[in-house]
Amino acid sequence: MGKPGFERAHHVAFFDAMATELPGDYDKQEVNHLTLSYFALGGLSLLRELDRVNKDEIARWVLSFQVHPEAHTDVDSGLFYGFCGSRSTQFPLSNVKDPCHNGSHLASTYSALAILKIVGYDLANVDSKALLQSMKKLQQPDGSFMPIHIGAETDLRFVYCAAAICSMLDDWTGMDKLKAKEYILNCQSYDGGFGMVPGSESHGGGTFCAVAALHLMGFIQVDLASNLNDSASIDMRMLLEWCLQRQVNDGGFQGRRNKASDTCYAFWVGGVLKIIGAYHLIDRCALREFLLTCQSPYGGFTKFPFDRIPDIYHSYYGLAALSLLEEEGLEPLSVELGILSSAL
Amino acid sequence: MDHANSGPSSWPELADVVPVPQDDGPSPVVPIAYRDGFREVMDYFRALYFAGEQSPRALRLTTEAIEQNPGNYTVWHFRRRILEALDSDLLEEMNFVEKIAECNPKNYQIWHHKRWLAEKLGPDIANKEHGFTMKILATDTKNYHAWSHRQWVLQALGGWETELQYCNKLLEEDIFNNSAWNQRFFVITRSPLFGGLKVMHDAEVDYTIEAILGNPQNESPWRYLKGLYKGENNCLVADERISGVCLKVLKNDWTCVFALSLLLDLLRDGLQPSDELKAILEPVRSSDPETADADLAITVCCILQKCDPLRVNYWSWFKTTLSQISDPLVVSG
Ligand SMILES: [Zn+2]
Repeated sequence: MGKPGFERAHHVAFFDAMATELPGDYDKQEVNHLTLSYFALGGLSLLRELDRVNKDEIARWVLSFQVHPEAHTDVDSGLFYGFCGSRSTQFPLSNVKDPCHNGSHLASTYSALAILKIVGYDLANVDSKALLQSMKKLQQPDGSFMPIHIGAETDLRFVYCAAAICSMLDDWTGMDKLKAKEYILNCQSYDGGFGMVPGSESHGGGTFCAVAALHLMGFIQVDLASNLNDSASIDMRMLLEWCLQRQVNDGGFQGRRNKASDTCYAFWVGGVLKIIGAYHLIDRCALREFLLTCQSPYGGFTKFPFDRIPDIYHSYYGLAALSLLEEEGLEPLSVELGILSSAL
Repeated sequence: MDHANSGPSSWPELADVVPVPQDDGPSPVVPIAYRDGFREVMDYFRALYFAGEQSPRALRLTTEAIEQNPGNYTVWHFRRRILEALDSDLLEEMNFVEKIAECNPKNYQIWHHKRWLAEKLGPDIANKEHGFTMKILATDTKNYHAWSHRQWVLQALGGWETELQYCNKLLEEDIFNNSAWNQRFFVITRSPLFGGLKVMHDAEVDYTIEAILGNPQNESPWRYLKGLYKGENNCLVADERISGVCLKVLKNDWTCVFALSLLLDLLRDGLQPSDELKAILEPVRSSDPETADADLAITVCCILQKCDPLRVNYWSWFKTTLSQISDPLVVSG
C-alpha cells in the first residue's frame, strides 16, 4: 500500500455535490445554512472550481438574507440589522407581532460577506451603514459580542466575526477595538492558549479567533521577531509554545492538550502560527501526511484518520489546511479572513 | 415524543391553524434536502409565531420544533416569551431542557436556554446545576459546553464548596484530563473560599510536582506548574522545587521533552545549574562535538532537537535566540 496522495478530483466531486444539494442530515444545522454554503463554495474556490456555480445567482441569494430597517424604525433600537442564517430564522417584517423578530446573526453575517467576497461581489454595494451601527450595540461592557440581539452566549467566536465583518467592509465603526482587545487578553489562559471565555480551557478554535481578531484589528505584527518583542499585548512566547505543542506524534494538530488530533485544528492552530509568523516552525511533512490520511474515499475529509464518512466542515478545513501548506492545485488563502487571497 | 408520523397537521388542537409555508426567496443555492417533518413543523410554527400566539398549544409546538431543529434560536426565543406569558413552572422547564441536552450535549442554544432558566431560578438552583453538568461530564469529561456552564454557575450562583474535591476526583480518575487541570486553576484562582493563588500557591506546587513525578510524559501538570508562577519568572527560577523536579525526572530519563523544555526556560531566565544537573547532562554534552564547548542552555536545545523531532525547527530557532542573548554585540545593537 503506497502513501495516499492528494485526491483532488474526488474533492471536486464532493464539493460539487455539496454545492448542488446538502444531504438531509444537515437539516439539524439548518439555522447555519449560510455558513454551510460558505464551506461548500469556499471549498470549490480553494479547488479553483468556482465556475461550476452561478456567481450572480449566489450573490442574489445571499443578499436576500440581509435584514434592512424599515423606513420608520430606529437603527438604534437595539435590533441587529445583519444577515439571517437561514430561511427558518427569517420572517417577513410586516407579518410578525414580536418586536424582536429580526433573526440576524453575527456568524451568518460573517459567512454572507465571505461568500460575497468569494464570488467576486463588490462589498461597496452592500448597505453597511445600518449593519455596522447596529452591530456595535451587540458589543458587551466586557468587550465581547453577543451574536444576536435576542440574547445568546457571548464568546471569542463573535469577537472574531465582528472584526472580520469590519475588516471586509473596511469600516471599523462597528466595534470598539480597545474593548474587544481587552476581552481577548482576558481569555488567554495560564498555558498560553486562549479559552472561548475568560477562565475556560485553551482551545484551538478560541485561540484562532483571538489571534486572528487581534491581527485584523492591527494589534499583531506579521513577523515573529517583532511579535516577541512587543510585550504590550499577549504573552507571545507562551502562545507560540502552546501552538507548537499541539502538533502530536501522528503529525496532526489537536485542539486541546491530551486530546486526539483532528483535521480542523490543522487549520485553526496552523492558522494562528501562520498569522504570528511561525508557520515555518512546524513539521510540514508530518502534517501533510496526517491530512492525507483524513481524506475520505468519497472525496472530502473526515475528522479523524481512516474514517470513511466526510462532513462538510472538516472537508473545508482539510482543504484550507492543505492550502496553508501550499499544496499544488489549491488556491492560497487569506487565513485571517477565511477567504481566497485573490478575493481581497 | 409518542406521535411518530403524526406531525402538527394531525393535532386536533391545531385544526384551525393555517400553516405558513417557507418563502424560499430567489432560486435557492446550496439547498438542503429537508425532511418532510421538518417543513411541516416549521410551517405551523411560522403561523403561530406570526400571530404572536402565546398559548399552551404554541408551547407544545415549540417543543416539537425544537426536537426537529434544536439550533433554531427564534424558536427558543419564542418559547421563552411563552413561558413568561403563561407564568410556567420553570423547574419543569428545566427538566425538559435537561432531557433535550442529554441527547444534544453540544448544542449552544440548549445550554443558553438552560442558563436563562438558571438565572431566573437563582442561587438555590446552583447545586442542582452542578449535579447536571457532573452527569454530562461523566459521559464526556471534556465537554466544553458543560465546563463553560459549570464555571458560569459557580461565578453567578455559587456552589464552590465541593469544587476542588471534584477536581481532585476527576484527576484521580484521569491525570491526563486537561479540562480538569484547567478547572483546578479556575478554582484556585477564583474561588472566594481560598483567598486566591497567593495563599494556595505552595500546596499547589507540591500537588503538581507529585503529579509530574507520577507521569512525567503528561504535559498538563508541567504547564500547570508554570502557570502557578505566571509572569514571575524570577520566582520560578528561585524556587528550588522547580529545578528539583526537572533534575529528578531527567535522572531517570534524560530525554523527557517537558523536563528539558522547562529546564531550558529556567536556564534562559538565569538559573545557575547545580553540579548534579551538570553531571546528568555531561555525558550527552561531551559525546556531541556540537555541544562539547557550549553552555548548558545550548546543550539542552541540542538534546531537544534530537528528542523532539516534530519540533526540530522550533528548537533550532530557539537556539538562535539564545546566542543572541549571550552575544553582547547583538544586545547592544
Ligand atoms: Zn474538528
